[in-house]
Amino acid sequence: MTAYRLASGGLVDRNAPLDFRFDGRNLAGFSGDTLASALLASDQLLVGRSFKYHRPRGIVTAGPSEPNALVTIGKGANSDPNTKATVAELYSGLDARSQNRFPSLKYDVGAVNGLLSPFLGAGFYYKTFMWPAAFWEKVYEPIIRKAAGLGRAVLERDPQSYEKCWAHCDLLVVGSGPAGLMAALTAGRAGLRVILADEDFRLGGSLLGETVRIDGVYAPDFAETALSELRSLPNVTMMPRTTVFGWYDDNVFGAVERVQKHVALPQAKLPVERLWRIVAKRALLASGAEERPLVFGGNDKPGVMMVGAMRTYANRFGVAAGKSVAIFTNGSAGYRTAADLVAHGVDIAAIIDSRADVSEVAPDGVRVIRSASVIDTKGRQRVSGAVVERSGFEQTIACDAIGMSGGWNPVIHLACQRGAKAVWSEDLKTFLAPDVGNGLVVAGAAAGRYSLAGCLQDGADKAAMIVADLGFSASAHTAPVVDGEIDPSFTALWYSPGAKAKAFVDFQNDVHVKDIGLALREGFGHVEHAKRYTTNGMATDQGKLSGINATGLLAAMQGISPADVGTTTFRPFYTPVAFGAMAGTSRDEHAAPVRKSPLHGWAQRNGAVFVDSGLWYRPAYFTQHGEKTWRESADREVLNIRENVGLCDVSTLGKIEIFGPDAAEFLNRLYCNPFLKLPVGKARYGLMLREDGMVYDDGTTSRLSPEHFVMTTTTALAVGVMSHMEYCAQVHWPDLKVRFCSSTDQWAQMAIAGPKARLVMQALVEDDVSDAAFPFLAAGIVTLKGGVKARLFRISFSGELAYELAVPAGLGDAVADAIMEEGRAHGICAYGVEALNVLRIEKGHVTHAEFDGRVTPDDAGFGRMVSAQKPDFIGKRLSTRYGLTAADRMQMVGLKPVEADQHIRAGAHLLREGAKPSTLNDQGYVSSACFSPTLGHAIALAFLKSGRERYGERIVVWDKLAGAEVVAEVCNPVFVDPGNAKLNS
Amino acid sequence: MTRTYISHHPLDGLLPLEPGIRAVDHLDVPRAVAIASVMAMEGEEASVTAGLAASGDISVRFAGPGEWLALSRSETPDSLERALSLLLAETAYVFEQSDGRVVFRLSGPNVRRILAKGIATDLHPGSFEIGTSSNVLCGHIGVNLARTGENEFELIAMRSFAVALFDDLRVMGREFDLSAGFSTLG
Repeated sequence: MTAYRLASGGLVDRNAPLDFRFDGRNLAGFSGDTLASALLASDQLLVGRSFKYHRPRGIVTAGPSEPNALVTIGKGANSDPNTKATVAELYSGLDARSQNRFPSLKYDVGAVNGLLSPFLGAGFYYKTFMWPAAFWEKVYEPIIRKAAGLGRAVLERDPQSYEKCWAHCDLLVVGSGPAGLMAALTAGRAGLRVILADEDFRLGGSLLGETVRIDGVYAPDFAETALSELRSLPNVTMMPRTTVFGWYDDNVFGAVERVQKHVALPQAKLPVERLWRIVAKRALLASGAEERPLVFGGNDKPGVMMVGAMRTYANRFGVAAGKSVAIFTNGSAGYRTAADLVAHGVDIAAIIDSRADVSEVAPDGVRVIRSASVIDTKGRQRVSGAVVERSGFEQTIACDAIGMSGGWNPVIHLACQRGAKAVWSEDLKTFLAPDVGNGLVVAGAAAGRYSLAGCLQDGADKAAMIVADLGFSASAHTAPVVDGEIDPSFTALWYSPGAKAKAFVDFQNDVHVKDIGLALREGFGHVEHAKRYTTNGMATDQGKLSGINATGLLAAMQGISPADVGTTTFRPFYTPVAFGAMAGTSRDEHAAPVRKSPLHGWAQRNGAVFVDSGLWYRPAYFTQHGEKTWRESADREVLNIRENVGLCDVSTLGKIEIFGPDAAEFLNRLYCNPFLKLPVGKARYGLMLREDGMVYDDGTTSRLSPEHFVMTTTTALAVGVMSHMEYCAQVHWPDLKVRFCSSTDQWAQMAIAGPKARLVMQALVEDDVSDAAFPFLAAGIVTLKGGVKARLFRISFSGELAYELAVPAGLGDAVADAIMEEGRAHGICAYGVEALNVLRIEKGHVTHAEFDGRVTPDDAGFGRMVSAQKPDFIGKRLSTRYGLTAADRMQMVGLKPVEADQHIRAGAHLLREGAKPSTLNDQGYVSSACFSPTLGHAIALAFLKSGRERYGERIVVWDKLAGAEVVAEVCNPVFVDPGNAKLNS
Repeated sequence: MTRTYISHHPLDGLLPLEPGIRAVDHLDVPRAVAIASVMAMEGEEASVTAGLAASGDISVRFAGPGEWLALSRSETPDSLERALSLLLAETAYVFEQSDGRVVFRLSGPNVRRILAKGIATDLHPGSFEIGTSSNVLCGHIGVNLARTGENEFELIAMRSFAVALFDDLRVMGREFDLSAGFSTLG
């Protein structure tokens, strides 16, 4: 045994033991442990295999920067790969597995990569697997991906639930260590709305592992006192287990809260994780500093750990990293850890200090070797000794753990996420946060204030400035007094020379010093290039430990300052966030809201099969009498409407009420055809263009009174047209006296179409609906028998005698039932959008299948509708461009197959007979196609070059996708009732 | 033949007819509320505001510059439209929307925490006082949100979104065992 649980001490609850499993072994820890501390307490040093060489790896840190101790927690669909054992809160029943090893963690065949490492340097893949080129995607990459890697994503559906939430505050404090706690207290006492967020499950940050006294009490007790005061303040919200991962525009912060990651059986009513968007007037970043690893030979063996982590494991978790610990340091941190470990009864084998002049005092009896470095480590799956070199002499010091400390890197990621780059500090030998304005202020160790007293003071001072800035007044405070402060100085050491084994810079990606050198030699010396070339700083830890060392090495190798090398780009997310959390509840049918027509229930009762139409569900067709395919149903519906009558739900079409003395003028400018003189009680088809002269949308608009119109739009562009109108009214023509609002949802609107439509309508409506009283394009208010006021329009999309009846939405179901009842004697049927589509193609009516953004009114046969007299309308100017009036533009035509049993599909292209398929020979395309039950053969609408001059010509319909070629005859696009006798009947 | 048409609420069948056990946090859905869009004529915004303020039991929700939703529990849709048309005859256009909008009333101690799961607006009493209303997004759905009490908010949604919004509100309220039912008042 080497690593072990200390007999006493720590903040774990020794009365609350927890059972857990690692790679099938039953182990035990305590409440308050992380998985990592519990593994260490069980002497499980080996926890993972490295990415590339499959080297045995152990726990390096005690926090979120952990590169090695990545495990998969949970089973099956509940698996959470790449979870850092160092932040995973231990719970009873936790089941963790190591990753990237086969067949087992201890005996991993992938370790052969380590023997081949001379051939596997940086860029090796790209140099070696270059030919044949096609092999990369199909052979090489899959093999490499299988051999290298981290945890595996599971493909099963994630059974856990997530949600997203908004929060607002005056001050967001990120980090609950000394600086964060003092900041939260200062702001909270002043009455600010404060959110204190910390990724740890226990608030207090570094104070939880501190042994000094603050204001006469032990640091963890000091933290607890501060926390209980914060809890008592109603304006302060505490958010433990919450990682603030990103800083976005408008001072919005992204955070993920692990609500139930630490429980074996999550409650169904709570999410497992919650994604927060925190809108903060101000934020204070008190994220502390990360200890910098030392780059020395053999520095990646299990048992080599940051000294700060060793200290945390001992003081906070009551776990010793080893029985005999060697410490390799370039500053005071190593001595502080040595003192704490000695106090816990751990033997210190030696302190190896890279510096010659040392002011620190080692604990009694501990040997200090100055001006020395570790050049190699002994042991295979756990460290058994350190090879120390001093003045050319080597000696091996037996030990079962090595602590390393290379100085400090402030954790400034959030401050650098919006473009500003970190700034090199020659004094502190590290990068500090740039000045990013007063929205985000950095305090404490994150700002380079490493002393405990300095952190406490800095947090309070900076919060006091924010308090004053926001117009609150801060109460005076006295800075807490710290006993036994240790000087945090260090001397930068980027590389410990004379390594006799690989000296790793990036543990997670197996990047060692030679890889960095190779990148530089091969011209990839820019810090961003070096990252891509070597993979240093990639994957789940994003270089939290390795980034600054890589910069330092690149600088040292070139003899320049790290300031001239800079850092790679910091982007969200600070630590990985599950996709589930980002999706929140927006999955499956909740990915987009469903809009339901007021006639949805009626359609369901009548056997509708629904189709998604944007957000709406619309009836596609109504199944009857054992019909097996949609075609059977749609054909029956079409024929019935041509012979009898049908009812279709058109409630989804956009409806906009337009009021005002200038409403007519407004419409006249919106539409390309005239509306100024539309009489009251009349509907008119309108065509709206974009500024570029292409058709935007169409629909009918009716005048209900001199200053009140109702516009209909297509279902698809209802929202777009409304926004377009708002824009025109507010920006183009603010002088027009017009107001409008959407009434789409107010009305249940039904199309009643077919030669017997009038018989049905007359049975329902009190008013006279005869052709004389209510002719084609009439519009007005009618009263249904029984007293309901309704809107009636004599308009037709099907080409039949047709009405559209609009009633208040709540009555839609009842009125539709009544129409079906009255229509039964006349053979009425319900019809859906499939039949609607066939009917309109037969009539040559257009939809957005035709108006696809490339079509002018003239292309679609509406050239004469465009008013030349109007002084202006949207699209008028650009409609006269040469390209839009050219004679060989594609014009809408009809197509019918020469052989009646042939089919035509939309999307097919048109070619002259005998012409080779090519872009040059392209004559046009099919926009809509269907089988016409009325005519008994396929028909289509198509756009064909100079099409209207070519009726009667034979053309090849070339459909490469379907592998079919059909010869068709070009014809008038109005297949049914070209004389409009039915409309006016 | 004279017919009687019975009006349906979009949540019919999704909410129990009888009031069930009411949790501390409750979603109350009134079956019938008279609602009208009010749009001020040019230059008449102030007089419309004043007129609506003096209108007694009609509650008014801001819906855009010069635009409001007027609500009444006591008036019928027709009588509300008539009353408003009379009141604002020369100053505003009135369009009755009672069937096009659905009202959801959320109340209870956790109502702000529930709404924070869908609405980005700061609902702290210091920022969003009683009587404040605004068009906001709740998840993916646009609603008009009003604070009607210390711990009470009303959401007005377009009818076609009613079921989707109801589903969302139930998921948002799951943590607090939110109960839901048609309003016992009407």
